[in-house]
Amino acid sequence: MIPGIEALAVPLLVLAVALAVLVADLVVGEAGEAEAEHGPRRGVGALAAVGLLGALVATWWLPVGGEVLGGAFVLDPFALYMQRIMLLAGALGCLGSIDHVDRAFPGRQGEYFLLLLSSLLGMTVLAGARELVLLVVAFELMGIPLYALAALQKRQDAGVEGALKLYLTGAASSVVMLYGLSFLYGVTGTTSLPEIARGLAQGVDGGPLLALGLLLTLAGMGFKVGAVPFHMWVPDTYQGAPTPFVAFLSVGPKAAGFAAMVRLFVEGFGPLRDLWWPLILVLSVASMVLGSLMAIGQDHVKRLLAWSGISHIGLLLLAFGLASDQGLGLLLFYLAAYVPTNMGAFFVAQVVGRDGDDTLPAWQGLARRSPALGGVMLVFLLSLGGIPFAAGFWAKVLLFWAAWQAGMGAIVLLGASLAVLALFFYLRVARAMFIEGQGGQAPPVGLPTAAAILLCLLGVVGLGVWPRPFVDAAIAAAGALLGG
Amino acid sequence: MSAFPWLSLVVFAPLVAALVLLFVPAGSRSTTRVVAIASTLVSLLGSLRVALGFDPAGGVQFRERYPLIESLGIALDLGVDGWGVSLLLLTSIIIFAGAFATWTLQERDKEFYILLLALVCGVFGVFVSLDLFVFFLFYEIAVLPMYLLIGIWGSTKKVAEAGPFRFLFRLLDVGGKEYAAMKLTLMLLLGSAFILLGILGMVDAAGGGSFSMEALASADLPRGLQLWAFPALWLGFGTLAGVFPFHTWSPDGHASAPTAVSMLHAGVLMKLGAFGVMRVGMVLLPEGAAAWAGVVGVVAVVNVVYGALSAMRQSDLKYIIAYSSVSHMGVVMLGAATLTVDGWNGAVFQMFAHGLMTGLFFALVGLVYERAHDREIGNMGGFAKAMPAVAVFFTIAGLSSLGMPGLAGFVAELLVFLGAWGGPMPWWALAGILGAWITAVYVLRAVRAIFWGQGPPERYTHLHDPRGPEWVALVVLAGCLILFGVAPRLILDDIDVATGEHLAPVTAVAAEQVTP
Repeated sequence: MIPGIEALAVPLLVLAVALAVLVADLVVGEAGEAEAEHGPRRGVGALAAVGLLGALVATWWLPVGGEVLGGAFVLDPFALYMQRIMLLAGALGCLGSIDHVDRAFPGRQGEYFLLLLSSLLGMTVLAGARELVLLVVAFELMGIPLYALAALQKRQDAGVEGALKLYLTGAASSVVMLYGLSFLYGVTGTTSLPEIARGLAQGVDGGPLLALGLLLTLAGMGFKVGAVPFHMWVPDTYQGAPTPFVAFLSVGPKAAGFAAMVRLFVEGFGPLRDLWWPLILVLSVASMVLGSLMAIGQDHVKRLLAWSGISHIGLLLLAFGLASDQGLGLLLFYLAAYVPTNMGAFFVAQVVGRDGDDTLPAWQGLARRSPALGGVMLVFLLSLGGIPFAAGFWAKVLLFWAAWQAGMGAIVLLGASLAVLALFFYLRVARAMFIEGQGGQAPPVGLPTAAAILLCLLGVVGLGVWPRPFVDAAIAAAGALLGG
Repeated sequence: MSAFPWLSLVVFAPLVAALVLLFVPAGSRSTTRVVAIASTLVSLLGSLRVALGFDPAGGVQFRERYPLIESLGIALDLGVDGWGVSLLLLTSIIIFAGAFATWTLQERDKEFYILLLALVCGVFGVFVSLDLFVFFLFYEIAVLPMYLLIGIWGSTKKVAEAGPFRFLFRLLDVGGKEYAAMKLTLMLLLGSAFILLGILGMVDAAGGGSFSMEALASADLPRGLQLWAFPALWLGFGTLAGVFPFHTWSPDGHASAPTAVSMLHAGVLMKLGAFGVMRVGMVLLPEGAAAWAGVVGVVAVVNVVYGALSAMRQSDLKYIIAYSSVSHMGVVMLGAATLTVDGWNGAVFQMFAHGLMTGLFFALVGLVYERAHDREIGNMGGFAKAMPAVAVFFTIAGLSSLGMPGLAGFVAELLVFLGAWGGPMPWWALAGILGAWITAVYVLRAVRAIFWGQGPPERYTHLHDPRGPEWVALVVLAGCLILFGVAPRLILDDIDVATGEHLAPVTAVAAEQVTP
C-alpha cells in the first residue's frame, strides 16, 4: 500500500468506473453481438454516468490535504474543486451521450465511453499534478482519447477535417509545450513546482531562457484551451465531432487546461507574475474580441457556440490573470457555471440537430414544437449571455467586479460591451426558436438526454438563484492554494 | 407600521402568477386571464395599501431586508419613499389596465402573459429596491422580456420601403418587429453596461463593502469619481428614458410592440430610466449632478422640442404617440436638471402623469388599430361617429398631453416650468413651453384627422366602441388622469417630502460651488 494513496482517490474512482465499463462491454458484447443496436450494450453508458455521479458524491467524504508520490500529486481544496467540476462534466457528458451513441455508433458504446473515461482520468490527475513530468503525462492521457473520439464520425468530411485539425494542433501544441517545459527544467533544475517556486523566491534568475520557456508553455496551453491565436481547431472540430462529445470537449479539457495553468503559472511561477501576466492579458482580450466578432455571422449553431466559447475562454483567462484569491476563485466559479450552461446548450443542439442539420433554420419554431426545449435553451442562452438569475450572470458580473477592483476598468468596459454584442448572436438563436417558423412535431428526446438537460438546467438555475455557497467555496479553494 | 411584507407582495405577486401560468394548459384562455388579472389586482391593492398607509412625514417606509450575499454586501432591501410610492402606484394601475387591454389577444396568449408578468415584477422591483445590486437585477428583468414580447407579438408593419438605402433597410429588416426588438434590446443592454460600470465604480470608491443606497449616500464619494460616474449613469439610464440621441429605439420599439407592451413600456419602463437618473445618479452623486446639470438640461430641451417636432412630422398614429413620449420624457429630464424643488416635484409628477396619459393613448391606439387595421391617420376621418367613447377618451389624453388645466399633465408641466424659471437657466422654461405648444399642434391635428370631418371611409366596416373588459383600461386611466389633475396633492405631498430629503445634499453641493 502506497502511503497517502487516498489522495489519488478521484482518479482511482474514475479508473474503477473505466474498468467496470470495459468489463461490462466485454461481457455484454459476447452476449449481444447480433442485436448491437438494441442490446444490453445500451447499459454501458448508463453504468459510466451513474459511476461518475457516485464518484462525485463520494468526493464529499474524501480527506483533503493528502500528498502522494513524493508530493507530485496533491489533493488540496483546489484539486478537489477542479475534480468535482470534471466529474460533473464527465457524468453529464456520459449521460447526454447515451442516446446519440446508441443511434449513431451502435455496437461501439464500449469504446466511446472507455475513451471518454480515459480522458477524464487524465484530467483528474492533472488537477492535482505538481510535477512537470506527471503534468505532461496527464495532459497526454487526457488528449489522446479526445483525438479518437473526435474522429468517430469518420464517414463525414466535416468529421474527418475536425478530427484531423484537433489531432495536428493538439500534437503540435504538446511538442511546443514540452519544448518550453524543457527550458523551464533546464533553468530551474527541478521538475517539482513547489521547489521551482521556492527557488524563484530565493532569487534564481532565469533570464531570457526562462521567459522563452514560459512563452512556449503558454502557447502549448493556449492550444489546449482554445485561446486566440491558438483557436483555429475549435470551430471545425465542434462542427464535425458528435455533438454530445463536443459538449464534453467544450468544458472538460478547458477546465483541465486551466487547472494545469494555475498549477504551473500560479503555484510554480507565481513569483514571475509580472512576466507572464501581460501575455495572458493579450490572449484574454484577443479571445474575447475575436470570439464575439466571429460568432456574429455564424448560422451554424455548433460553430456559433464554438466562437462564443472562445470569447468565454477570454473571460476565464482574465480571471486567471488576476491571480488573486478572488480572481482564481472566480475562475473556479466561472467554470462551475460554464459547465452546466454550455453542456446544456450542446445537448439541446444535439436533440435539434439529430438529423445532421445544425444550422439556424433547423431551430425555427422550436419553441412551438416543444415549449420545454425552447424555454430550456433560452435559459442556457441567457446564462451564456450573462443575464440575471442564470449562473452565467454571477460568473460574469463577479469577474468584472474583481477586475474592476484590480484596476482594469478599461477591460471591464470592453468586456461589458462585448457582452452586449454577444447577446445579439444568442438572441438570433432565440429569435429562430421563438419568433420564426411554424409549429410541428416535437423532436424526440430520449430519457438519458432529457435527464442530462434537466440536470444542466438545475445547475444553471440553482447557481443563478443561490450562488453564494458556490462562490464562497470557490474563493476558499483558491485561497487555500495561494495561502499554502 | 405593520410587519406584513406589503412590498414583497406587490413585487412578487406577478412573478408567482407567471410561475403558476407555466402549469396552466395552453388552450385555457379564461384561466390564463383570470390568473394574470388576479395577480395584477393583488399588486394594485397592495400598492394602494402602501400608498394609503404611507406616513406623510416621509423617510423610507415599509422596509424589508433579507441578506443575499453577505460577503459582498448584497441584500434584498426593499422600501419606498414618496417617489417610490407614486411610481409603484402608477405601475400597478398601468399593468392592471394593460392586462385588460390585451383581453382579445389570440395567439400564444399564455406565453405572452408569462413574459408580461415577469417584466412587471422587474419594474416593481426597481422602484422599491434600496440595494443597488438588486436594483440592477430588477432593471435587467424589466428590460429583457421585451425582446420576445415585441419579436413575437409585435406588428409586422414595414416602413422604409423607399429611398436610396432601401436595399440596406430590407437586408437589416428595418421597420420590422424583429429589427425593432433587437435594436431596443441591444441599445438598452449597452445602457445597462454603463449603469453597471457606474454602480461598480461607486461601490468600489465607497470601500466595496456594501451596495446599499443609504451607505453610498453617506459615503462622501470622491469628486473625480462623481464626475465620470454620473454621465455613465445618465447615459445608461438615459437610454431607457429616451434621452436624445439615444432615443431612437423608442419610436421603433413602441410602434412595433403589442398594445399592453406599448402601454407598459412607454408608460412605465421609460420612467425606470428617468427614476434611475434621479434616484441613483443625482441623489447619490450630488457633485456629479451639479457639474453636469447644464448638459442634462440642454439635452432635455433638445428632447422636448425635437421629440415634438418629430411627432408632428409623423403620419403613423403609433409613431406620433411614441415621439410624443420622447418629448414628454424630455420634460421629466428637464425638471430633474433644474435641481430645484419644483423641478424635481414636477419631474416625478410628470412621470406619473405621462405614464397614465401615454398608457391611455396606447390603449386607444390599440383599439383603433384592431378595428381599422390601419394606423395611417391620413386614411382615417370621422371615426367619432362610429366610436364616440374612443374619441372622448382620446381627447382627454390629448388635452392632458398638451397641458390642459384640470388634467394631470398640466400640474406636472407647470411645476417643471416653474422650476426651470427659478433655476439656473430660465430659458429652459421657454423651450419647454415651445414644446408644449408644438404638442398642442400635433395632438389636435391627430384628433381632427382621426375622429372628426368626413367619414368614416367605407372600407372601415368594423368600427365600434369598446366592449366588455376593454372599458376597464380606459375608465381607470382616464379617471386617474382627471383625479390627479384636480387633486394632485393626493400624491404630490408624498413626492414633495421625498424631494426635500433627496435634494438637500445636491443643493448643498451646488451652493458650495457658487460660493467657494
